[in-house]
Amino acid sequence: MAPVISLRDITKSYGTGAARTQVLRGVSLDIEPGELVALVGQSGSGKSTLLNIVGGLDKADGGDVTVLDHNYQRTPERELARLRNTSIGFVFQAFNLLDHLTCLDNVTLSAAFAAGGKDAPNRGREALDRVGLAQYAGRFTSELSGGQKQRVAIARALFARPKLLLCDEPTGNLDSATGAEVIEFFQKLNKDDGVTLVIVTHERRVSNIAQRVIAMRDGNIVEGAEAAAATPGADFGGPA
Amino acid sequence: MMPADKLARMVLANATRSPKHFILSAFGIVIGIGAFVFFLAGTLGISDVLLGKVFPLDQVEVIAPHTSIAGKNLSQRMNADTVALIKSRKEVKEALPRMTLQFPATGFGKFEGQEIKFEVGGFTDGIPDVYVADDPKLVGVFKDWEANGDTSAIGPACVPNTPNNCPDKAWQYCDESDNMCHKRVPVIISQTVLELYNTQVADSHGLPHIGVMEQFIAERGRERMHFWMGLGSTMMAGSNVAIDPNKHREIGAILVGVSPKARRVGLTIPIGYVERWNRTFVGEKAAGEYSSIIVTLKDKDKLATFAQWLQDEPKLKLEDQLGSSFATAIFVIRLVLIGIAFTILLISVINIAHNFFMQVSERRREIGVLRAVGATRQDVLWIILGESAIIGVVSGLIGSLLAFLASLAVDWLLNNVVGKFPFKPDTLFRFEWWEFALALGLSIVFCVLGGLLPALRASRLEPATALAAN
Repeated sequence: MAPVISLRDITKSYGTGAARTQVLRGVSLDIEPGELVALVGQSGSGKSTLLNIVGGLDKADGGDVTVLDHNYQRTPERELARLRNTSIGFVFQAFNLLDHLTCLDNVTLSAAFAAGGKDAPNRGREALDRVGLAQYAGRFTSELSGGQKQRVAIARALFARPKLLLCDEPTGNLDSATGAEVIEFFQKLNKDDGVTLVIVTHERRVSNIAQRVIAMRDGNIVEGAEAAAATPGADFGGPA
Repeated sequence: MMPADKLARMVLANATRSPKHFILSAFGIVIGIGAFVFFLAGTLGISDVLLGKVFPLDQVEVIAPHTSIAGKNLSQRMNADTVALIKSRKEVKEALPRMTLQFPATGFGKFEGQEIKFEVGGFTDGIPDVYVADDPKLVGVFKDWEANGDTSAIGPACVPNTPNNCPDKAWQYCDESDNMCHKRVPVIISQTVLELYNTQVADSHGLPHIGVMEQFIAERGRERMHFWMGLGSTMMAGSNVAIDPNKHREIGAILVGVSPKARRVGLTIPIGYVERWNRTFVGEKAAGEYSSIIVTLKDKDKLATFAQWLQDEPKLKLEDQLGSSFATAIFVIRLVLIGIAFTILLISVINIAHNFFMQVSERRREIGVLRAVGATRQDVLWIILGESAIIGVVSGLIGSLLAFLASLAVDWLLNNVVGKFPFKPDTLFRFEWWEFALALGLSIVFCVLGGLLPALRASRLEPATALAAN
């Protein structure tokens, strides 16, 4: 079976001239379907940039990115947007919910960019139910706690029933109890639904449940590029 | 691409979620569109009054330049050949002659119980009846009943100088020349004459005001519009024209309506009567001399070419057209006023662009989220442009409504505060559906124009960069 994510020699830099910073220095990586991968490393190691490139939120300067059988270099922008709309879910550290919308409207936001979807409200409620917030469907997100907001964000990511879930520090803004619940939810999602998860994290708890831990340093993968090469619970650097 | 119904719902929700932003963006456009509609309707309304009533302008009038030596009129004479020459020009659609009554005549009779008398000779001319064929109220009424010796409208016999004993008392009179009933000579007057009567004569002589002539005739009856024309007699002292008293004749006339085709000051009758009477009272030559020729051009833009030819070839000229001067003045005023409105609109575009740039900056993270869940660059572009278009629609409607309300206020002042003046209209404005449609269209275009650069900037944001915004 083809890998869900296949990266070959990815480079990325920001800025120009003297201010130019090389963030990724030829990263190559395969992630198989159904894997739960923790992407770890110190701040500035390039893990969030790598996640954004995999999600099509940012563009690599060089190299080959293939995700869910779509080679990004050859895929038009519209098709990439459709891929994000239907097959890739995102969970961010800052939740990124739209405060002027209700929880249900946040969850079903992606339906606005796809044809059909008359059942979107029902599917949205189902997604909220999965994260235990069905009763909050009509509330505005500004009325929720941090943990509840992240659960709504997860419901939004799950709304389209994605094959790949990309999470950038999903527990970074949560207390430890709520963070544990979220981690547990991800583990269950991976096990029960077979969703491939890539989680950028500093937390040992996350790496403990990961099937593979990929460690990055200075724009390179230093550990875990190959499947089963890493050991859960390895040392991943300090918090950002 | 985003389905249209979902785009519309999102745009509506976004446009209404920040009233402050909406009002800030819409304010200038509302003022600009309001000024545009107000000025446009105002200049249209004023030009209706000036060019429709005061200086009717749908034809030009050719006259001979006046030349006199030692008190003798040596002006060039215009006749049927002149009409034919003018008609031969390719820019001319129609050329119709006017002929002035060239001998003394008076008008007299009773009006509203009062004896009235006025000079007709020199103040009366004739025009072909086809010239008023575009006015249904005059067709079949304004005609030469005895054209080319036609006697079918004459009879039966009657006794003159007694109460009218002709069968059709409204339209016939008993002519003393042959003791037969004749059709009354139809007379039309201009709006100018009617206004002069209303503003200068009616009050000072205790006579009724006449609003709409047709209504006045309908209310009071045709017979109240009768008067007599005394051909060969005059009210003027010191007239040098000696008319053989045997030629004196009294003709029954009837005022049939108001027309922009009538001479501005005086009376106008069918040209056949003037030709016959000039022949009888002055001579054959006078029966073929035209006072002016009314020319309809195929294209108004050819006026300058035609006027130049008139000067160069037949040595004639166009009568001074106050109407065309006013038309030009109103056109220039309209351009200036609409220019002001457009300036306001352009400033508003900059204001809208500024507001939307701020909005895009504040909503970077939101734009990033939309891109993350599947919005394309085009979707983002359409969302921002849609929001600016909504502002355009609402501003256009409010601006048009304000302009309309302002026009009502001005008209109220005109009717209740400003005193009477000649040609005073009921309204100074003309509103047409296309003015509102144009205003709405312009409002949308200007708003979308204002939103275009911010929308392009928003659509070019990389999602990762947008999501990283604080």
